[in-house]
Amino acid sequence: MFVEFKHALRSSLGQIIGWGFGLALLGLLQVPMYDSLAADGEAFAEMLELFPSEVMAFFGDLSLMATPEGYLSIEFFSYMPLILGIFAIQAGTGLLVKDEEMGTLDLIIAHPVSRLSLFVGRFLAFLCALGVILFTAWLGIVLPMEWSMMSLKGVEVARPFLSLYAEMVLFGSLGLILSTILPSRRLASMVSGLLLVASFFITGLSQLNEDLEIIAWLSPLKYYQTQEAFAGLNGEWLIGLFGAGLVFVLLAGWRFLRRDLRVAGEGGWKLKDLLPTKRQ
Amino acid sequence: MSEISIMIKGLEKSYGSFQALFGVDLTVRKGEILGFLGPNGAGKTTTIRCLLDQIRPQAGEIQVLGLDPQQHPVQVQRKTGYLPGELRLEGSLEVSRLLRYLKELRGNRIDEDYLRELIERLELDTSRTIKNLSSGNKQKVGVVQALMHQPELLILDEPTSGLDPLMQQEVYQLLREAQSRGATVFFSSHILSEVETLADRVAIIRKGVIVERSSPAKLMDMSMRQVNIRFLEIVDPSPLHGIPGVSLESLAPGDQVSLQVEGSLDQLIKALAQFPVKDLSTSSHSLEEIFLKYYREGNQEGSHVR
Repeated sequence: MFVEFKHALRSSLGQIIGWGFGLALLGLLQVPMYDSLAADGEAFAEMLELFPSEVMAFFGDLSLMATPEGYLSIEFFSYMPLILGIFAIQAGTGLLVKDEEMGTLDLIIAHPVSRLSLFVGRFLAFLCALGVILFTAWLGIVLPMEWSMMSLKGVEVARPFLSLYAEMVLFGSLGLILSTILPSRRLASMVSGLLLVASFFITGLSQLNEDLEIIAWLSPLKYYQTQEAFAGLNGEWLIGLFGAGLVFVLLAGWRFLRRDLRVAGEGGWKLKDLLPTKRQ
Repeated sequence: MSEISIMIKGLEKSYGSFQALFGVDLTVRKGEILGFLGPNGAGKTTTIRCLLDQIRPQAGEIQVLGLDPQQHPVQVQRKTGYLPGELRLEGSLEVSRLLRYLKELRGNRIDEDYLRELIERLELDTSRTIKNLSSGNKQKVGVVQALMHQPELLILDEPTSGLDPLMQQEVYQLLREAQSRGATVFFSSHILSEVETLADRVAIIRKGVIVERSSPAKLMDMSMRQVNIRFLEIVDPSPLHGIPGVSLESLAPGDQVSLQVEGSLDQLIKALAQFPVKDLSTSSHSLEEIFLKYYREGNQEGSHVR
């Protein structure tokens, strides 16, 4: 299991560096930007008044943007699930099926490594890679705060990151289970991506339209904690997200242990495949 | 210890509504080299993938080195070396890095001297990146990783595919050496000369059913070969008509004649002694002809031969 964990982690090194430093750079830019906005408080307040109430409702209370928590929530954390979701879904759907579709899994699974070890090793590598990316992004915000007007503690900033981590684990796991059920990685990525975007909009729009609130309860991003997380996390929501992710992972593992490995090149749904085939 | 390395009994496998195997029965004895032959889509790779628990059959029993691969996949894989038919390797890795990873998957239980010997004998440059290798060099990587842990059982799906004739001979030699150490070799092939050179026994699969188990010599006897004879003068070839296993394309007199011969050429050579022969050529054996023979027979007998 450790060999597979190590190999999977090494394989995603480029992604870890790219995503980690990319997000850290974004954080690095946001902190001094807050300083410049906060320095001209009046103009900032006037600018906020120009936003329509719908926008304020969609992204949260923009009046709180003058606070470090509110600013980071809106300018960084609010859209982060959509950005980092790309990595989580791609990593989740590719965890097993990428090698399967490339045909490289044939050789790996012919070595003395059980399917369970392979699965667990790779999933742990995904969790680790995601953790390193978010830790690097956290550093990108926390380090420049030393020289900034943002008076937040590292642990306070870590809380929304933890919520983001839970969301990304959930969507990565969703991609993983879908990749073991649907006939191709591409389709699994597409469906997972659609669900992520739908969840983002339903959660946002439910703040404007009460009718959507019932659906929003099923939306994972409803339980994403940003601004409020700086003060303290809702543990139940966090556990709920991790729990849902765990269910997806267990289902994916159960499915992977029982199903046939695909032959390289398989993985598309074609109409003729759905029609009955004559026996030889 | 069991004298049987592979035992397959009543193996059936379907992919949705398509049935690939219809009750395959096959036994491979310990220490033998068995050539597994069949045309594309006959069920060779499906059978091999069942042996390695990559796919699960709907019915039948499999024992590999005395173990059920579904119950004990890791133990089976520890003792087995496998070369897939369509070998795909991680393109971004260097050969040395890939081999190190595969070694680690085997718990580093590898004789490094033997690994170096394999690399040298197959003239493999381990510093190169996989994606920059030719198909032949990729195949060498596949052969090295299958052999490097000196397994009890080698399951090789077309082991010399893409290799040049010299390297093919080297692989044959490596497999014979593995056999001399007590290993069992189960390989699929499309090349009759390879089967003749290497195999102790052959099994032919057709449409998901084993239709023949025999020796390579018997297989060669079954194959038709084309014989072209040129004479020094115009002759009447009718005396050649009626030799067992020989069929003439034309009985008309002439200075050359073409024949189809099944089995030994002995009778034909003896009959030709009465003619002034200038030249004689024979075409090489063809597995396709043997497969076609089974297809013809199969079609005459019905849809499935069990």
